[in-house]
Amino acid sequence: MNKKDTILIVIVLIISIAIILGYKLFEKDGIKKALVYYENDLVLTIDLTENIEKTYYVEGYNGKVKILAGNGKVSVDEENSPLHLCSKQGYISKSYETIVCLPNKVIIKIDNIDELDAIVK
Amino acid sequence: MKAYVSYIIVSIITIVLSLLFLFSSTNKKGLYTTNLFYMDTYINIKIYDVDEKTKDKAFDNIDKIYKKYHELSDRYQKYDNVKNIYYINNIDINTEIEIEKELYDLIDYSVSFCNQSNGLLNIAMGNVIDVWKSYRDGEKEGIPTIDELKDKNINLEDLVLLKNNKILKKSNISLDLGAFAKGYATEEVGKYLESIDIDKYIINAGGNVKVGNHYNNKKYKIGLEKPTKESDIYKVVNGNNIAVTTSGSYERFYEYNGKSYHHIIDPNTLFPPQYMLSVSVITNDSTYADALDTMLFLMSTLDGLDYVNKLDDVYAIWYTNDGKVIKSEGFKKYE
Amino acid sequence: METRKFTTLSMLLSLAVVLNIIESVIPLFNGYIPGLKLGLANTVILFVLYVYSFKDALYVSILRVILVGILRTGLFSIAFFFSLGGAILSVTMMFIFKKITKLSIVGISIVGSIFHSLGQIIVGMFILETANMIYYLPWLLMFSIPTGIIVGLISKELVNHLQNDLKIKEY
Repeated sequence: MNKKDTILIVIVLIISIAIILGYKLFEKDGIKKALVYYENDLVLTIDLTENIEKTYYVEGYNGKVKILAGNGKVSVDEENSPLHLCSKQGYISKSYETIVCLPNKVIIKIDNIDELDAIVK
Repeated sequence: MKAYVSYIIVSIITIVLSLLFLFSSTNKKGLYTTNLFYMDTYINIKIYDVDEKTKDKAFDNIDKIYKKYHELSDRYQKYDNVKNIYYINNIDINTEIEIEKELYDLIDYSVSFCNQSNGLLNIAMGNVIDVWKSYRDGEKEGIPTIDELKDKNINLEDLVLLKNNKILKKSNISLDLGAFAKGYATEEVGKYLESIDIDKYIINAGGNVKVGNHYNNKKYKIGLEKPTKESDIYKVVNGNNIAVTTSGSYERFYEYNGKSYHHIIDPNTLFPPQYMLSVSVITNDSTYADALDTMLFLMSTLDGLDYVNKLDDVYAIWYTNDGKVIKSEGFKKYE
Repeated sequence: METRKFTTLSMLLSLAVVLNIIESVIPLFNGYIPGLKLGLANTVILFVLYVYSFKDALYVSILRVILVGILRTGLFSIAFFFSLGGAILSVTMMFIFKKITKLSIVGISIVGSIFHSLGQIIVGMFILETANMIYYLPWLLMFSIPTGIIVGLISKELVNHLQNDLKIKEY
């Protein structure tokens, strides 16, 4: 193995591990909402705090997109697309994670603003 | 060949590392929520770190507790086999009746508190409250006159508490537990949760919030709503194991001729007070918080400030009529 | 361009397209990391880069994306632009690194893999107007190493053995 190759590999490893550790360190708690966008417009906000998973439907470019949300995470269960890469993406639960459904032009993000636990009216 | 081996090894190591990082997860707290509607209030309860079986049992019993106090404190409805406030308000005078322990204890606590409140709180205000209610509900127009109110019987001393959960009325007073029931029930729910080792919870019963330990070793953030149309948050209280209540909510009043008339009535003037827009109390016990809150609403802010500053472990914040915020001594510890 | 070179490049182009399509039916990790792929088509691009020229490699790259676009992802679809961005950045950086560093072909392959992912993310951030995609960068970087190595080793063999058969100058 070429020495220069090794240097490259080591540098790449260090950088990527450092970033990943950074993610773990700065993860915020109190994840609350999933934001669902269609063509960059916010179409649905889902409260993720319940421990019960609920089903939601959003109109995507190719038809209905079925979303499962709850328990602090959200995922796409079913959608119309050639490769179904979107429904295979699994769950996201952190504020920097995204589910991107290109054919359906749907994006799901997690909103991580430090929310209030209760409001006294 | 040697070159290939080192390449392969590097590849494998990298893949394994990536997978490890990808599939490791940090702690996630699960929680269960339930929503109830009792005592005219939407109640939301969250409990953390429990398994499903415990959650089912807990929510079941919490519902039973709120339901019980809802029925017991109900002034307008009777329930089969429940000797509640409605029942008490309709029995003959000088008749001894035995009521349920829960109601007796609640009345007992309330009467004691009233007796120490310098006449500001009175659970026998039912007759006056009814007059105001008829105007508020639109049966009559405008506001009552003092004549309509002053001859109503609100003598708390005519309520006699006897042994063995028995009470009797010496006159036709009418009881109203509005200032105590919700806070008391909420405190009972809190006690119940702690008794089954659920210490991480949030109970939000309208203007009554009670929280236990935080689910992530931080502090609960409890927002206080401005008592005005905007209803945005004017103060965030940060704390654990506290009860936070507010009197003077924007929602429970009615307007006549440009003035607001609250549903809390001053036993001395027989009219709703106008000292402030709202006051919130922070302390450990939810019953005490609820009662004190009502009491402070019936005092001027200066008197209230004086009163609270003399108390240990009790804090209050006022939202005055001209939009200023006043805090009692030591309130900073919750900011 | 002389005929022989033209036909050879055309065949290599078809090979790249076929490889791209074949590997697209093997989704890695079921979509946990979007944009992750083996990059087998890069074996061809690397070959062209080392045996022919940067210009040729660039043409083959771009044409590869266009053909795959027509056949698979949809010409001028969002995925098409992702691919185009990744391919162009990748081959350009491979050329630059090949010129100014002493990395072996395997190292260059890793570089290609890295910048392909980077290119896709950058285009993605522009088109989707969201910075969230950059989250996946460290994973893509890490996986660039094994995929880059595999592709690089294959390319190394191809370059060293095939150029004789193709009657081109020694590398």
